[in-house]
Amino acid sequence: MSGSSADPTGDAGGDPRGDSTGEHAGDADGVAAVRERLDRVEDPELARSIVELDYIDAIEVDGDSVEVRFTLPTAWCSPAFAWMMATDARDEVEALDRVREARIELCDHMHGEEITAGVNARDSFGETFPDADGDVAAVRAAIADKARVSRQREAVRTLLDAGADPEQVVSLVRADLTIAGDEAHVDLDGFSLVVDAAPIADYLDRVTTSGHVTEPADTLFLTPEGDPIPADELDVVQKRSRLATVNMGGQGAVCDALHRARHGPDGPDGSGPKYVDPSDGDRSTYDGDEFTSTWTLATEE
Amino acid sequence: MYEKDGEEIFVIDGHVHLWDARQENIIHEGGEQFLQCFYDYHTGFTPEEEQWDIDTYRHYGADKMTEDLFGNAAADMAVFQPTYLDDFYDEGFNTTEQNAELAEEYPERFVLNGSFDPRDGEEGLRYLEHLKEEYDIPGVKLYTAEWRGDSKGWRLDSDDAFEFLEKCAELGIENINAHKGPTIRPLNRDAFDVKDVDDAASSFPELNFIVNHVGLPRLDDFCWIAAQEPNVYGGLAVASAMSTHRERKFGEIMGELLFWLGEDRILFGSDYALWNPDWLVDQVMNAELTDEQKDEYGVELDVDTMKKIMGENAAELYDIDIEAKKRQFRDDDISERFDLADHYGGDAGAAAD
Repeated sequence: MSGSSADPTGDAGGDPRGDSTGEHAGDADGVAAVRERLDRVEDPELARSIVELDYIDAIEVDGDSVEVRFTLPTAWCSPAFAWMMATDARDEVEALDRVREARIELCDHMHGEEITAGVNARDSFGETFPDADGDVAAVRAAIADKARVSRQREAVRTLLDAGADPEQVVSLVRADLTIAGDEAHVDLDGFSLVVDAAPIADYLDRVTTSGHVTEPADTLFLTPEGDPIPADELDVVQKRSRLATVNMGGQGAVCDALHRARHGPDGPDGSGPKYVDPSDGDRSTYDGDEFTSTWTLATEE
Repeated sequence: MYEKDGEEIFVIDGHVHLWDARQENIIHEGGEQFLQCFYDYHTGFTPEEEQWDIDTYRHYGADKMTEDLFGNAAADMAVFQPTYLDDFYDEGFNTTEQNAELAEEYPERFVLNGSFDPRDGEEGLRYLEHLKEEYDIPGVKLYTAEWRGDSKGWRLDSDDAFEFLEKCAELGIENINAHKGPTIRPLNRDAFDVKDVDDAASSFPELNFIVNHVGLPRLDDFCWIAAQEPNVYGGLAVASAMSTHRERKFGEIMGELLFWLGEDRILFGSDYALWNPDWLVDQVMNAELTDEQKDEYGVELDVDTMKKIMGENAAELYDIDIEAKKRQFRDDDISERFDLADHYGGDAGAAAD
C-alpha cells in the first residue's frame, strides 16, 4: 500500500472509485484471506457478518501489515457496538499468521476518531470512553443473550416439528443430545429422535459460549431469564423468542433506511459505490462554528 | 376523517411537534446533529415526492403545520409532545410554550402535553405545577436521553423521577409519554433503554405509560413489559413510518403488538414533522398483514382494530368524546378554513347522504 490515507476513496491511482470496495489489487490473496477472517465478525445487533452487511470499505495489505476501513449504517450506531466490531476485526485479522499488525479505521461515525485511536492503541473501551455507563462485556452479554433466545426458537421448533412433545422438550438435558455429522440424535425417554443438526448445533454453540449449558446435566432449553421452562409455558417462551428475532430485524430495517438516506439508494445492498463525496453527500457536516465533518479523520502517520 | 370500506375513522395523531431548529436557535453542535439525524429519518422513510427540503424542515411554522395535519382531513386531532433539549437549542427545540401558541389557537383540535426533567429538582416540580395551572396539561412527554450539563440522561425508575411521577398523580396528569425508541444522534443509546418503564408502571398503576416508538430497537423488552403491566401503551411513531418502504416489517411489528398488547393499547402517531400524516395515515390504513403473519399471530388489521389504533384508544386516554368532536368540527375554524364540514356530517355531507 502506498501509505495510509484518510481519503476514503483510496489512493491507488487511476479511478479512485473504480472499485466499490476500495481494495487494492496488489495482494489479491492477502486481501481475500483478510476478508475471510473479517467474515467472522458480526454486527452484534443483527448477528450477521460485517462482510455480508457490506460494512467493509477497504482492505489494504502491505507486507505483514493490514489496514481495514469500515463504515456502519449510521454515524450514531452505538459506540459500544462500533467498538466491538472494530476490536473483533483487529483480532480476527491479526489471527492470520502472515499479519503482524492490523490497523482498523472506523469512518464516518460520531465517535470514529476516538474509536479508531483507541482500538489501534490497544486501549480499553473504558480508557477511550471514561464517561460511558457499563462496559463492553456487559453489552456483549446482553446481545449474546438475545441471539441465544433467537436460536433456541429454531432448535425447539425443529424438535416439536419432529414429533417431540412439550414435556419432553423442556426436560431435555445436555447429555440427551449427540451431534453426529449433519444429524442430531436426541434421547427422548429411551428412544432416539433424529433431526437436522444445523439448528441444534447453532443453538448449542451459543449456549455453550454464554455458559448457560456446559455440564451434561444442565437443562438444555431455558427461558430468556435463564430458568427451566414449565411445559405449559413452552409456547409463550417460543413466542418471546420470535419477538427477539422480529426485534433484530426491526433494527436492521431502521439502520438500512438511515444508511440509504445518507449514502443514496445504492447502499448497502445495491451495487453502486458506497461512498458519497463528502462535499455533496454528507449532511452530517455542520458549517457553523464548532462542528467539523466526521468524514475527515486524522491519520496517524 | 379517513374513510375505509365505507366506515369513517376518526384520526387522533398521538405524536406531533412544532419545532424550531433554525441555525440561530442552535447553541450546541448536538442541536445540529439532532436535527440532521431527524432529517435522515425523514428522508429514509418518506416517499420521494413527499420529502421536504432541509430549510423547511428546520422551521415549518404553525401555519404549515395546521395545513399538513388537518388540510386534507388526514388527522382530526393531534397531541403535542414537547422535546425541550435546552442544552442544544437557545429557546428549546419544541417546548410546551412553543406548542401552546398553536394549541391555544385551536384548542378543540389539539391536546397539549407538558414535560418534566427530574434533574431540575424543586424548581422542576414548581414548573410542572405551573404547566398544569397554565395549560391544564393531561400528560407529559419525557425525554430520558436529554443532556443536561455533564449528565447524558436519567431513568424513569430513579427516586428523583418517582418524586415527579407522584406529583403527576397528585395533579391528575395521567398520561406519561416516554420516548423509548431508536437512537438519535448525538444522544446516548443506553438512555433509551425501555426497562425502567417496568418499575415505574407497576409503582404508579393510576398513571398510563405510553411508550413512544414501542421501544424500537427493544421491541422485545417493551412487549414483555407491556404484556405484564396493563397501564403500558405503545405509541406507533417511527414504527408507522415503516409502512412506506417496509410493509412486511411493519406487519410483523403490528402482529407482535397486537399479540402482546392487544388492540386497545396501541396508538397511532406520525411524529410530525418527522413524517406527515397527510400521506402517512393513508399508508398505515392500507397496510395489510400477509396471510402468513395473520396465521402466525392470530390477529387481523381490520377496520375495527384500525379505528381503535387510529383514534379511539387515544380518545380514551385523553377523555375525548369523538361524537361530540364530530359535531363540533362541522363548523370550527379548521373546517371552515379547509372546507371540511362534509367530513363531519355537515351540509355537504348531508346532501351526499
